[in-house]
Amino acid sequence: MTTDTERTHRFNELAEAYSTDLYRYALWICGNDALAKDLVQETFLRAWRALDSLNDVAAAKSWLITILRREFARTFERKVPVFTDLEKVLIVDDEELEPDDQAERNLLRKGILKLEPKYRDPLLLQTVFGYSCTEISEQLGITKSAVMTQLFRAREKLKTQLQKDGVTGNVHELF
Amino acid sequence: MSMNFSEFKKLMGADPRNRDAETLRARDSAPEFEAVAAEAEAFEQRLEHALHIQVPDELLDRIKVISQQPVRQRNWIPLALAASFLVFVGAAGLVWKQSHQWDSVEAYVVDHYSHDGSRVIDQIKGGITQQAISKILARLDASADHPLSDHIRFIKFCPTPDGRGAHIVVSTEQGPVTVIYMPNTQVADGETVRFDRMHALLVNLEHGSAAIIGEQEQNIENMVVMVRNSLKTGLVDT
Repeated sequence: MTTDTERTHRFNELAEAYSTDLYRYALWICGNDALAKDLVQETFLRAWRALDSLNDVAAAKSWLITILRREFARTFERKVPVFTDLEKVLIVDDEELEPDDQAERNLLRKGILKLEPKYRDPLLLQTVFGYSCTEISEQLGITKSAVMTQLFRAREKLKTQLQKDGVTGNVHELF
Repeated sequence: MSMNFSEFKKLMGADPRNRDAETLRARDSAPEFEAVAAEAEAFEQRLEHALHIQVPDELLDRIKVISQQPVRQRNWIPLALAASFLVFVGAAGLVWKQSHQWDSVEAYVVDHYSHDGSRVIDQIKGGITQQAISKILARLDASADHPLSDHIRFIKFCPTPDGRGAHIVVSTEQGPVTVIYMPNTQVADGETVRFDRMHALLVNLEHGSAAIIGEQEQNIENMVVMVRNSLKTGLVDT
């Protein structure tokens, strides 16, 4: 096996292992399908170019997330993306749900997108990537105690939002 | 010391999948602990389902295409070899400059398109692979994303006022439009150049600029957003 082939093989393994989670993460932080795809492709383009600097395979996930987050920040420096096709993306589900369950799921999704980044980021790292609180604190550069607080508040905000919409019964007005 | 109810509730709110020994002991210590844990798990399941959205089928294929791009070499070049190489490049650059000199970007655009713009369009046969597009743009530290990449029918290197660039032909509903990417040139953003039966719109990009050239009947303004959003420029190693 040549070096080039090994490099390509290594890259493809990373793509297969992490592209799905990175896309989900990108979509939840930017709320736009096209931009999320761009962010993931951009992330892997940069990863491909810098692949030789990745010495520890175990650090690949964290490395890719860092690249994606940096690219997302750069995108916002250039322009604020227009979020227009959110519903189109979010309504697609691979399972059939009862109308009430679907409505609740949609509300939950709306709630996630409404969360401030300081609450949403750790929540996504935990639920999408399966990170522990310690790993999140390392990824975000904040203390573990701050991570625990933000995760707790993120869930409380989502529950409050669900309860509020459940009480007023206006779950359909969002769609 | 064992966890009290308030601490346990906070832990379940922050980390409902926590399974360490202390948490499990606390969970089993009383029915109200058990109830909080069950509620947290149920909510977590709903949350995970909500986040688990479908991923576009083509995404992985698009990513794997990236690995077909050449990687810039970073090998150390012995000093003597580097010096002789620089002398060669300098001489070659001088020859190139002498044969391609323009007073302005506008003059360059007119000269360039008049030289081979129409001929290139006439000679296009069939499509072009994403690999070929990526290969050329990568050499210019650029890449083309969707939707621009889907509409490119031709691409080649070309001279620009400040070094090498790319001559791109894009298919549109109104016919082919030429995009000249100039990686090292800045233009008067939004300026229009008219010549023969053509018009060209000059736009600055994040790095460098582009001239979008079409027949005067063609609405090339529509292309500006696509080029700005889809032509990623100034890509550097992470």
